[in-house]
Amino acid sequence: MGEVKTSMVGRAFLLLIVMAGSVSDHSMAQTSLTTESRFEQRRQRLIDVVSQERDRGFFTVAAKLSAGRDKDFALAMLDSLTTDESIGGMFYAYSAIGTYLRLWNQLPDSLVRKLRQAYRERTMYRGDTENHWVAYYTGLYLAAQTWPNEDRSQWFNGKSSMENFKESEEWLNRWMSTTATIGQGEFDSPTYFIVFMTPMLTLFDFAKDPVMKRKAQMTADLLFADFAAEHLNGNYCGGHSRDYPDDIVNPLSAPAALWAWLYFGEPNMELWQESRYRPRYRGGWETVFGAMSSYRLPDVIHTMATDRSKAYVHTETKRTRNVIRFGQEKNPPVYKYTYMTHDYALGSLQGGILQPIQQHTWDVTYRSDKPNNTIFTLHPFYSGRELAMFFPEEQKFLADEVDRYHLVYTDPNKWNSSSPYEQTFQHKNAIIVLYSIDKNANHQHIDGFFPKNLDERIEHSSGWIFCRAGSVYVAFFPLRPYQWIEEKVDWRWRSTALKNGIVLEVGSSDEDGTFEAFRNHVMQSKPAMNSSGNDLIVNYETRRGDVMKFTFDGKRRLNGKAIDFKTYKFFNGPFIQSERGSGIIRMTDGKKVRELNFKKATIKEWQRSQN
Amino acid sequence: MIEEYKKVRHRWNAAWSSLIPISVFVLVVMLPANLLSQESTVYASVLSTKLFVVGAANPETGVFYKKTTDDTVWQHTGPKNIRDFGLAVHAPSRGQLICIAAGNGVHKTTDGGKTWKTTTGWQVTEVLSAAIDKANPDFILCTTPYGVFRTMDGGATWAECNNGIKHVFASSVLIDHSDSNTLYCSTEDGVYRSGDQGNSWKRTGLSVDGVRVVVQHPKDPNTLFAGTDNYGIYMTRNGGRYWEKCAAGLDHQTFYAIAFDPNNPQVLYAGGYVTGVYKSIDGGQSWRRMNEGLTNLNIHSLAVDPTNSNRVYAGTLWSGVFCSLDGGASWRSAGLTGSQVWTITVQPF
Repeated sequence: MGEVKTSMVGRAFLLLIVMAGSVSDHSMAQTSLTTESRFEQRRQRLIDVVSQERDRGFFTVAAKLSAGRDKDFALAMLDSLTTDESIGGMFYAYSAIGTYLRLWNQLPDSLVRKLRQAYRERTMYRGDTENHWVAYYTGLYLAAQTWPNEDRSQWFNGKSSMENFKESEEWLNRWMSTTATIGQGEFDSPTYFIVFMTPMLTLFDFAKDPVMKRKAQMTADLLFADFAAEHLNGNYCGGHSRDYPDDIVNPLSAPAALWAWLYFGEPNMELWQESRYRPRYRGGWETVFGAMSSYRLPDVIHTMATDRSKAYVHTETKRTRNVIRFGQEKNPPVYKYTYMTHDYALGSLQGGILQPIQQHTWDVTYRSDKPNNTIFTLHPFYSGRELAMFFPEEQKFLADEVDRYHLVYTDPNKWNSSSPYEQTFQHKNAIIVLYSIDKNANHQHIDGFFPKNLDERIEHSSGWIFCRAGSVYVAFFPLRPYQWIEEKVDWRWRSTALKNGIVLEVGSSDEDGTFEAFRNHVMQSKPAMNSSGNDLIVNYETRRGDVMKFTFDGKRRLNGKAIDFKTYKFFNGPFIQSERGSGIIRMTDGKKVRELNFKKATIKEWQRSQN
Repeated sequence: MIEEYKKVRHRWNAAWSSLIPISVFVLVVMLPANLLSQESTVYASVLSTKLFVVGAANPETGVFYKKTTDDTVWQHTGPKNIRDFGLAVHAPSRGQLICIAAGNGVHKTTDGGKTWKTTTGWQVTEVLSAAIDKANPDFILCTTPYGVFRTMDGGATWAECNNGIKHVFASSVLIDHSDSNTLYCSTEDGVYRSGDQGNSWKRTGLSVDGVRVVVQHPKDPNTLFAGTDNYGIYMTRNGGRYWEKCAAGLDHQTFYAIAFDPNNPQVLYAGGYVTGVYKSIDGGQSWRRMNEGLTNLNIHSLAVDPTNSNRVYAGTLWSGVFCSLDGGASWRSAGLTGSQVWTITVQPF
């Protein structure tokens, strides 16, 4: 594993160096006919499905006009979108211009004038998150490019076309560079993935500047590769910066799954046909811009997403959202660890407050034809101070204000949360999660999500809880007493000790044989916890014989050796390699190498040496 | 405790009993006669609804204004559908020059709101407050979570000016009305002072965490008040060298807004987290809550009408604007119901 190294690259037979504008065409040629034809079927299918929608939105309009369906209805819908002044902002900014650029030749002059008018009279709010800014500046860049040489009176912000273009270009370049060197703040979000992808593909399709076009393509490659390495059958696995509770407990309902279906061909089902998934997609058909895009996924990334013939460890470094108060560092690093197999993935962030509100710190997600295919724990933390670290409003009101939109922020039963009282230590398919909860914390319990549709859930006298979902096995050891609470789709595991934690191992029939063999193997070891005084220490020997020692707020030791997060690369796994800060990302499917060099704005591909 | 309370009450009552002749004197002597009958304009930075969702369909939000003689009819000016925090109205131009401090940056009009320009670029965001030099309207400052920014050319160019500030999250800034070289800003680790228009800053004697606002006495430039998150109100009489805590009568510790009566600087109002409105009539020595009719006690902004000291406005978090016509003795809703009113200012035109 980890085969793509500089020395090997040096020995590689350079088949191809593709640079500048020819990359896209070549990428298309590189994709095998079968993969390409299947993609073609899916994208046509998606356009067709979205074109039948009635919900108002630019994506519905674009699909209808693209498919030649309900043209009058679509134009009337577009007209209403241009005249309804209550909507206006970053999402409008990029989706309106994206619709125009794709379909301008089908629009009557009156509607074109109204669309142009929108960028003059409607305030395009830039927003306050990374995805907002990507949407805003992509929209402004393309609008300024489309209507150049116009003076300040013609734009909502009183800036000329040139000023808007330059500002957008500068910020987009800066964001792309940051994303390629220290990572996103809104990293690996199964929801907000779509708000990065859709603008990038629109920018790729319509930026006239060949360098910007190429960088948009490279960024799309990077984001897809980032997803692909942690992708299992449509699921975006492991830790996430931001996710919604419904999607955390049912990973395939997240919007990113539809992108996985379109580009990776997995899961092999039309998600919108499934009533349990459908609500998330109604009004969220951004993916149709992908279906209409000329961007094609490099086959290296397709393989990354779908080849699960060998288990692997993949690590990444990301960053937090900007810390504006109560911190010493603006963007502290986030360390992410994922163990991926054919049947399951176990993934984690290091814990602590890495993102406000919607953090998902760790989970095991498994391949399944049933929903709710995940198990995880959390501490439902909330505080105005946490929010004030990231938002400028008054900290005494922030929790209430966030609750009004996110609804569950202060909820003791919520399924997404960062917590300063949670830390993880993962090694391959074993993880220790510790909780040292302050006695003044708002909620003083930890919860675990166990789907009701597990095939087996056994509480053994040894203290282990064993679960089986098809061929996937999970062993879960609570370090403190607990109770079960029955809910609609899950059994909520709850424990109320302040010094607390769990140990979990995952296996499968491929790795362990029978469920019984797995259980017997796991039961040969028992986690040992020391929680005297302020200490919270757990020792555990995995069923593979690795010894993990984890001290809360202290060292993580594997077989006696301390883990040093500072040695984490930007990406480190068999499919993708990058040094933090280098701006150079190398991907491989074992046969071919694709290198993105963000400092030179180049893409290269070559065949790996067979030696 | 009881003795302390009695002392405070005695001091308050003594000051209060002397207020009536002072007020009469102020009204008669200090105010030009034509101002007494004039109406002013009140401006408010407004988030119109609790249900404001970034990027979604939202009701009109931003800056609203109305004449003080109107009841509750507010008009909108400037960009719509933005998240705005502060505003600065340039009085000498009679409201032709206004700056809005908002998420998109600093929006500026020089024609009383007919046309607007976002003067800042991507570098300036989440702007919390703005200040315009009365004498030189090209000199404008704004504060953000990333520090203080300034322009010397009316917004054509902006530069970060945080030299000397430790924790740059800055919630408010003021330009000394007697010397525009001197600035004060409130930050997460105290109040800072600059003597060179922001080229460099030094922390004043106030180094408490979470200073939310700093205001200057309308006559004596060396007297300032600072409201803090958790530590109450502080006062200095020597340009920030030494600060003393204002304790008498204050039962709360979080203050987002402090306003002087421009006609009688012995009178101040203060408000914050569940405080309602506190009033001092002895230059901040003692305070008394004045909440009759105030149905929301979370106050984020306060302003006194310079043409009528008895007319006081309080901007609440999520209940709009309240107005008192009797110097805070009683309050009634003045519109923008359900809004968050981050900043409010009253101008004499």
